[in-house]
Amino acid sequence: MIPISYYLVLAAIVFFIGALGFVIRRNAIVVFMCLEMMLNAVNLTFVSFSQSLMDLHGQLAVFFVMVVAAAEAAIGLAIIIAVFRSVRSVETSDVGEMKH
Amino acid sequence: MTIFFFIIAVLMVASAVAVVTFNNPLQSALSLIAHLILVACMYAMLDAHFLSAVQITVYAGAIMVLVLFVVMLLNLKVEQPKPIGLLYLGIGIAAALGFAVIMIPVLATVFTAVTDPIAPLNGTARDIGRLLYTQYLFPFEIASVLIFVAIVGAVMIAKRNHAVVEQIADQDTKAGGVQ
Repeated sequence: MIPISYYLVLAAIVFFIGALGFVIRRNAIVVFMCLEMMLNAVNLTFVSFSQSLMDLHGQLAVFFVMVVAAAEAAIGLAIIIAVFRSVRSVETSDVGEMKH
Repeated sequence: MTIFFFIIAVLMVASAVAVVTFNNPLQSALSLIAHLILVACMYAMLDAHFLSAVQITVYAGAIMVLVLFVVMLLNLKVEQPKPIGLLYLGIGIAAALGFAVIMIPVLATVFTAVTDPIAPLNGTARDIGRLLYTQYLFPFEIASVLIFVAIVGAVMIAKRNHAVVEQIADQDTKAGGVQ
């Protein structure tokens, strides 16, 4: 049996890699993928704690996170396509019209 | 069992780093698919069988196909990385070290407080389904409404807006005329 804390450390490492990518990448699609990676790291934490506390409700939470992630993927990619139509780019540094 | 965990863990971190470091978004997306399948392996090792299956079908299947479609549809050029200034690198390393100094004692107490299960909990479709259709029935129905709204919203947002398209076409022809 592998200690639960190993899974938690792994999830934390993956979450921070995702957060780093979210900050340093400029391609909106890659930023979006880093977001998915962070969501997955949190899901892994949920499942680990579900095992640790012997409570199935954590896995239900992961199920609903997946539902919201699927909805978010559809909307997010539609927004990326709409932005690409008007700006001809998906670089986050090119989309600064609303700053002013 | 422990060896399997470490093999999967190393591959998971490697594929996560690959997602962030590849310049081509297509390569990033393929690395992310590998990462999501490895997460499904982790769920299987944690006896969450239902979530493991859902992870592969929903995440590695549906969501990533959508991402790959968008990547190929937009036909993006490869992103050129900007060089990082030495000042920013120094500030970043200092901030990371400061964060580590603050977080390590906190994390140490958290991880010692975590108890390992006496008997593993089986997250089979039967057990999850029983909870989902009794205690979580209302959130489950709301989730279906959420997905429906998301489908309609995605179509509305991605739909070709004629006024905007003509405006951009005008700008493009003017820019072409100047050149």
